Formats: sequence, C-alpha cells, structure tokens
Amino acid sequence: MPIRTIVRLTPAKPKAGETFKLQVVAQHPNEPGTRKDAEGKIIPANYINLVEIYFEGEKVAEARPGPSTSANPLYGFMFKAEKAGTFTVKLKDLSGDTGEGATKLELA
Amino acid sequence: MNRRAFLRTTGVALGALALAGVPARAQGLEGEDLANLEKALQATLGKGFKDLTPSNLIKLTMPAIAESGANVPAEVEVGLPSDQVKAIHLFADKNPTPHLVAFMPMKALPYYATRVRLAETSAIRAVVETTDGKLLLASASTRVTVGGCG
Repeated sequence: MPIRTIVRLTPAKPKAGETFKLQVVAQHPNEPGTRKDAEGKIIPANYINLVEIYFEGEKVAEARPGPSTSANPLYGFMFKAEKAGTFTVKLKDLSGDTGEGATKLELA
Repeated sequence: MNRRAFLRTTGVALGALALAGVPARAQGLEGEDLANLEKALQATLGKGFKDLTPSNLIKLTMPAIAESGANVPAEVEVGLPSDQVKAIHLFADKNPTPHLVAFMPMKALPYYATRVRLAETSAIRAVVETTDGKLLLASASTRVTVGGCG
C-alpha cells in the first residue's frame, strides 16, 4: 500500500535567495517494534527508514530515521531558494512500501 | 528583626539559591544514560561520548516537558555552511534504540525537524559530523509524562 505523503513549503512562494522550509507529513503508524497489542504480543517493527528529497531529479537531501519516530511523522528541511522547480519526496518503510509526494517551488 | 530586614535577608538568600541552582543543573542532565548512549554512538559513528566536542554552533530545540512521549517535536539547526556538515544525528539516551535519525544535508541547509518517540524522561543529543572529521555535540533534556515506546 502506498504511503500517503503530503509536502508543503513555508513560505509558499519564497523570494530568490530567501530560505524556506520544506515539510513532509506521512500517514504511517511507524511501529517501533517495542509496543504490544491487546493480547500482549509484540507488534513487529515497521517504520519509515528512508526519506529522500529530489529537486528537478537531483538528490538534494537524505534522512534515515530510526524506530523512535512518532506515528504520522513530520520531517522538516530547509533550503535556499535559487530557481523554480519541482521537489519530489520519496519515502520507504521496512516492509518495502513506498510513498511519493511532490510540490512546485515558485519564486515570488 | 523588623519586616524590612527580614525581606532583605530572605531576598539575598533566595538569590543565592537561584544562582547555586543553575550550575548544578547544567552539570548532569535529567534522564542521562551514558552507558546506553555510548553503545549507540559506537554502533553509528564508531566513536564514544568522550570524542564529542560540545559546541554552541548547534541549536537543539526540545520542549522542557512533553505530555506524551509518543509525539515530541525536535528541531536542530547548525550554524555552519552546508558543505561543512556531513551528517546530523539525533540520539535519546533512554530509548531502547537511542539513534533517532541520521540526516545528510547534501544541498539542503543544515537544519532538520521531526517528531520523535521518547520512552521516558531523557537527555537528547544532537551530534554533527563535519566534513573535516570533527564531532560536535549539543544536549537538551525533555521530561516525559507518558512514554511513547511501550
């Protein structure tokens, strides 16, 4: 099942040379592998362990989160606005599920 | 003792107490567990806690108190140019898996924000690997009311 991925820029239209934040929210339980279900059995670990950011096809940042990331996690990055283009975010979890989200960077 | 003298002496005493309290808190962080952290540092970086240099170039923002350990905002900002930062790591001393995240900025600015699970009240560390091989450290401590790992 694909991971629902939402990408947002703040401010939405930065000026050239200005820094802006790129925030990614994923809909994912991020099971750490330490929690137990109602019957006392350990829920197997399944968390997002790879977050990649691409700008116009070129990889610009990478994060490798561990099991101690909250459910429905947020990942925040900061960039300097240079030229307009498209950011693509790719996620991957332990079970091999992937998620992809994109947003356009427009300069004010 | 009249009222004025009483106020003066208690005021001085309270002030001295406040001053004495600050360094005492700065020495040992609440929820510190260096043995657990050491293992994670060795596994991730191949270096121990003594190889880390405390640095005020790193700004680690954590809440002082988190109602729920399941969703604690963490933010780290490094006052170095991007091309000098190889990776940013976050660790929580008391977590079963202390290594929270490794972030490689590449073309991004050396800034990372996320939300983490904390098992219990814990010291949080931001470790920055620079391209010239230095390891910089900033610490914070978050008190947790309900743990987020169990």
